[in-house]
Amino acid sequence: MKIVGITACVAGIAHTYIAREKLIKAAEKAGHAIHLETQGTIGTEYELTGEQIAEADLVVLAVDIKIKGKERFAGKKMIEVPTEVAIHSSNALLKKLEEIAKK
Amino acid sequence: MVDIANILNENLIQLNMQARTKEEAIQELTECLYKEGYVSNPTVFIQDVYLRESEGKTGLGQHIAIPHGKSDAVQVTSIAFGRTENKLAWETPDDEPVQVVILFAVRNADTATLHLKLLAQVAMALADDDTLARLLVTKDKSEVIRLLSQRM
Repeated sequence: MKIVGITACVAGIAHTYIAREKLIKAAEKAGHAIHLETQGTIGTEYELTGEQIAEADLVVLAVDIKIKGKERFAGKKMIEVPTEVAIHSSNALLKKLEEIAKK
Repeated sequence: MVDIANILNENLIQLNMQARTKEEAIQELTECLYKEGYVSNPTVFIQDVYLRESEGKTGLGQHIAIPHGKSDAVQVTSIAFGRTENKLAWETPDDEPVQVVILFAVRNADTATLHLKLLAQVAMALADDDTLARLLVTKDKSEVIRLLSQRM
């Protein structure tokens, strides 16, 4: 499965980056390819490319705030959760993504 | 130079905090930052830390919390690391008490600076469960620095 997504938290200082790392670890463990963009105080990093988005089966947004560029994912299967879920339940979240992708 | 020394040194690491509460822990670590000259006004800084606390949990689980304050009272964006034998009540996703507190102090004027990138890299290091487990037990300040800088 190919996953893209965005992480972004209220302060944009810490949780954004922890959530990204946790999701990447969980996805790799489950054998999925994942690309995650961060939108934090330092701005957008790891910006998703059009190709990454086009190839993705699924979009995961681990966000606590309104994010930029959501329209890039129009027509894609998408799940949105708070960063806390990505940080604390990353493996369970991955299972949920797998279920959604099958539907 | 991309180096954790820009934001953390051994003077900012307390392996035996006296704090018995969340408030005391934030106070104790703020004192460290004040002594190093990184925070100019502890009262104002602590108010800004609590502003962030009001916006959501800063407990990460596994007995670790990362309160942070973006504040005019911060002179140098930096972090202070504290650990205590005491079990601090804290808002955490696993409802477990906290024993390691990593306080992020962020200068209000900072946007795309090196210091903020370093903070993000420290945050990334905290996504690793083995790292969190070591932070709870190590007796060596240089290991704390090494663990927190492993993504740099």
